[in-house]
Amino acid sequence: MGGQLKHIVCAALAALLVPCAQAQDTIKIGVITDRVGPAKPYAEPITEGVVFGANEINAKGGVLGKKLELQIEDDQGKPDVSATMARKLVEDGAVFIMSLSLTPATQQAQTVTLETKTPQLTPSNSGDTLTTQINNPYFWQTGPLGSTQIATLLSYAKARNYKQVALVADNSDLGQLLAKFFRMGLEKQGIQIVSEELISRGATSAEPQMQKVRAARPQALVSAGVLTAENVLMLKAYRQMGLKMPILASYNFSVPVYMSVAQGLLDGVTFVDAYDPDKPAVKQFVAAFKKATGKEPWNLTGYGYDGIHLVADAIRRAGSTDKEKIRAAMQATKGLHGVMGSKDAAYGFAEGKRTGFDPNGMVVRVYEGDRQGRVLHVGLK
Amino acid sequence: MQDFLELAVGAAASGCIYGLLALSYLVMIRPTGVINFAVGEWAMIAAFAGFLLLTGAHWSYPLGMAAIVAFMLVLGWATERIAVRPLLDAGAPVLAPILALLGMLVVFRESISLAFGPDPRQVPYPFGFGRLELGPLAGSYQSFFMIGVSALVFGAAWYFFERTVWGKCFEAVALNRRAAALMGINLSRVTALSFAAGSGIAGVAGILIAPNISAHYLMGVPLAIQGFTALVIGGVGRVEGALLGGLLLAFAEQLTVRYAPVPAGYAQGVPLVLLMIFLIVRPTGLLRARA
Repeated sequence: MGGQLKHIVCAALAALLVPCAQAQDTIKIGVITDRVGPAKPYAEPITEGVVFGANEINAKGGVLGKKLELQIEDDQGKPDVSATMARKLVEDGAVFIMSLSLTPATQQAQTVTLETKTPQLTPSNSGDTLTTQINNPYFWQTGPLGSTQIATLLSYAKARNYKQVALVADNSDLGQLLAKFFRMGLEKQGIQIVSEELISRGATSAEPQMQKVRAARPQALVSAGVLTAENVLMLKAYRQMGLKMPILASYNFSVPVYMSVAQGLLDGVTFVDAYDPDKPAVKQFVAAFKKATGKEPWNLTGYGYDGIHLVADAIRRAGSTDKEKIRAAMQATKGLHGVMGSKDAAYGFAEGKRTGFDPNGMVVRVYEGDRQGRVLHVGLK
Repeated sequence: MQDFLELAVGAAASGCIYGLLALSYLVMIRPTGVINFAVGEWAMIAAFAGFLLLTGAHWSYPLGMAAIVAFMLVLGWATERIAVRPLLDAGAPVLAPILALLGMLVVFRESISLAFGPDPRQVPYPFGFGRLELGPLAGSYQSFFMIGVSALVFGAAWYFFERTVWGKCFEAVALNRRAAALMGINLSRVTALSFAAGSGIAGVAGILIAPNISAHYLMGVPLAIQGFTALVIGGVGRVEGALLGGLLLAFAEQLTVRYAPVPAGYAQGVPLVLLMIFLIVRPTGLLRARA
């Protein structure tokens, strides 16, 4: 009886393995995202963009005659888990890994991709040191760098001829770092900071800070805060006091959550972004995404969409799923236009560089009502 | 001067929230000696309940608030049954329930994080987002509402402790548990009621502050720290002390940010300095318990 059972189990396992064998006829792309951790608000729409892009590519016949097969893993925004997931993906046969989680998690996963010589791309991380701290020729970054975001917003401030501004930040690590870079950039451009305020995490009021800003009479308020709740607190005090100076906000304000949590407070707020809703490629993308999923994509969704297209393009040009050939093809990427970036922006890697976002490709947009609206300024000029 | 009066309204409103959280600690500490740092998470849960009922289900504000407070009373009672009573019944030292409640803090926070994710959620204002000017005083509708509701809660708490037999039972248990038990006071019931009341009060604080700071899963710990600081300043002995401590803390925080000639980052240290000063110089707080 026992022997019979063994045969049945073996037969069942063999039957199960057949589709697996057929599934080998795909190109495996590993995706490391954050489904529950601090990067979730960013990672979720980016992942949707990757999935939508892969489906679109597969519907058109795939790459090298094979379908792309996404294997999505959750690293909870934790660097150590991210590295573990990268190893799992490599062992499962992924020929390319896309990192959509936090910058430190992506950094940690690089230790695995460097060791296993597996191509890795982050289409969304903005940390300036991702490609410089580890000399990993298998890693690329096509999200706009933090420094590019700041430079673009400052270029807008300069174009508006602001001479005196207030700088408002929060006490998170990233908020402080951003404030430091803004301070340096403003000083370099000869723009005086007449009031520098800090809203601490967990604050219950931002009225004292906004009173100080009001008293300093700046021409504009530069927001370097990255904590959504504290930024909303700032906006509430700003509106309550009837302040009128323009708000120039960091990239954090491009996150879609503001449209629901700061309803009625956003009109006129300008923010730096990498997305131009009037760009033909964006209109096409929005229409296709809506048709396929029934919902409107966010700017963040475009990062994932561009990312999977960059990966597919490299594999296509490599003409093979050999990881070394894919690496060489990815490094040779030039002039690839995507959804993200200004109308003329293109992805490409300069000689010896592995950051691929066009430094002139960011834009400054404005909230129109509660919606992220039109582009007011492009690039660094 | 106008700035000061404007700030006074906002600071008083923040102070009332800190005071309510201090009161939440106080009603549990007095009869049981247990410091429950999960009060901030209770406030967070009430804030999310506000998001569900007021933003999601569009309940009317009074009905929603009543439902949330009722839910919080049950939650406080359940917390006591799960994390405190079994330990007290087993004769565990008072540190045991404090640690168990810290565990509950993590359970509450992670449950909300899993259920709602990390995004902040908007909770509506009962009277809209407007500004009221009463003579020289100016502030948001919500600030005046927070002050009004807090005054009612503190009034009720004062009346309960000073004028009712049940309040006297709480005081008796606070003075001497064993003697109170010998006098026929049901210790278990007093403990359960104190946790239910503590949760209800923290819930009121959560609903009141949520429209300003949004409901998010990390909002609890800062509120718990601010409430605890207010409690240390005011003293655990009297209801008025909690309110006084809350107001002092909020005014110190906000006046320092506004007027002290120090860089923005240093102003954050003021509550900590206050806490240390009171712990060293006057550990019993400003108001001592009546003999």
